[in-house]
Amino acid sequence: MKKIISLTVNGVSHEVAVEPRRTLLELIREDLGLTGTKKGCGIGDCGTCTVLLDGVATFSCLTLAIQADGCTVETVESLAENGQLNRLQQAFVDQGAIQCGYCTPGMLMTTTELLRRNPHPEESEIRRAISGNLCRCTGYQKIVEAIQTATEDSDE
Amino acid sequence: MLLPRFDVLVPETIDDACAMLADYADDGVRILAGGTDLLVDLRRPIIPQHVPRCDGCPTHPEGQIATTIECEPSKSDPLMSPEGSIRTKLADPKSAAPAFLVSLHKIDQLKGIELLPSGGLRIGALTTISEIERSSEIRKDWTALAHGADSLGSPLVRNRGTLGGNIANARPAADTVIPTIALGGKLTLQSSSDTRTVAAGDFPTGPGLSVLKPGEIVTDIHLPTPSPHSGSAYYKMANRKALEISTVGVAVWMVLEKPGGPIKDVRVALGAVGPTPILAKSVGKVLIGKVPTDEILVQAAKAAAGDARPIDDHRGSAWYRVQMVEQLTLRLLKSVLSGIENDR
Repeated sequence: MKKIISLTVNGVSHEVAVEPRRTLLELIREDLGLTGTKKGCGIGDCGTCTVLLDGVATFSCLTLAIQADGCTVETVESLAENGQLNRLQQAFVDQGAIQCGYCTPGMLMTTTELLRRNPHPEESEIRRAISGNLCRCTGYQKIVEAIQTATEDSDE
Repeated sequence: MLLPRFDVLVPETIDDACAMLADYADDGVRILAGGTDLLVDLRRPIIPQHVPRCDGCPTHPEGQIATTIECEPSKSDPLMSPEGSIRTKLADPKSAAPAFLVSLHKIDQLKGIELLPSGGLRIGALTTISEIERSSEIRKDWTALAHGADSLGSPLVRNRGTLGGNIANARPAADTVIPTIALGGKLTLQSSSDTRTVAAGDFPTGPGLSVLKPGEIVTDIHLPTPSPHSGSAYYKMANRKALEISTVGVAVWMVLEKPGGPIKDVRVALGAVGPTPILAKSVGKVLIGKVPTDEILVQAAKAAAGDARPIDDHRGSAWYRVQMVEQLTLRLLKSVLSGIENDR
């Protein structure tokens, strides 16, 4: 039997009827049509489904929609400001940190959480923060450089 | 791929959760905390070799499985043969698929880290591994647990995974459990009819198996007041720094009578070298009452290695694991000692 839950996604309140087994990922992609969040492994190994749940980087594939009842969700679609890529997104583009794009939404959301908590992370802190996000192209170096660039820009 | 069908119950108090577990016991009910293990186990395996994640994992694709693990001989325990092996039978995952999940996420009583007036620490079972990782109190006075939290899974797993879940899953390599045992942690288990306290070391009984009865919830983890001149540490040896299950994990807790003085008490807990985490009791016999010297620490490390009961698997051979228990125990005993000395 479906249950009614309410949650705020990217600043918009939603009241949705969900099957108990529905994951937050399925809710975001299929019910709300926000397909920026990707499904990868479905078992918490790859991190591409990462969203911020009440500000905490969270596997949306291993979170039931019901568990997000009353919560605030931020997806990769929330990052752009006035139709422009934000500083972090632009840094990913400029540094060539986007290859196949598989990991990008998850990398961006995980990094967004990191930079809110720690606006000037060391390289080791960046590498540790993204250690749960799998890049299939093994382009970690450019991703780390992009994140470093984004934090340098914010010094200005 | 969709998860199998189940209903989710969302209690707001521990009592309600216990009542639900009792009410739905016959229909098949599981407790949902962070979901980083349970929701993986409920999904049909996509990549067969991904499962089981450790020996005895109930998600083995063959369904009903039995594993044989070397263990200390016991005549009293029906699971163990007198020759020293244990056979654990695990349920068929299909028949074990629950009709109900009791999700604990709205129970505030289960959350938070709290210094007790007695000086000990209470950690709510639903506290995430990330919260433990970032707790300055835990890092200072219960250091081994902070090390365990640092090394568990990945940041995303730590953000969702809970201490209670890591304990209740009863995996022999659980990164927060090995330190909790070394630190002398106690668990509170609550059901609708009873509340009891169990030493963390007595909780697991086999891979994925524990003393937790149907209808019971792990509600709190209590860590005792840190003694003067004490310290602790945990080291996870694994092939990768993230998203890995340890090849060997060792946690050490030690108290000195006085700086430089004899060892008053010590506990060494070993992970991934037996069907459950192992409290290496032989170490105490070597060290307690002795002034720590290099010689005696080497003896203690050998004693710890003697207590390990590992198997060969793809993470390492039994022989290698025993060697690593010895080396890591020695290294940790030394680092904990120097930590105590530097603290004075």
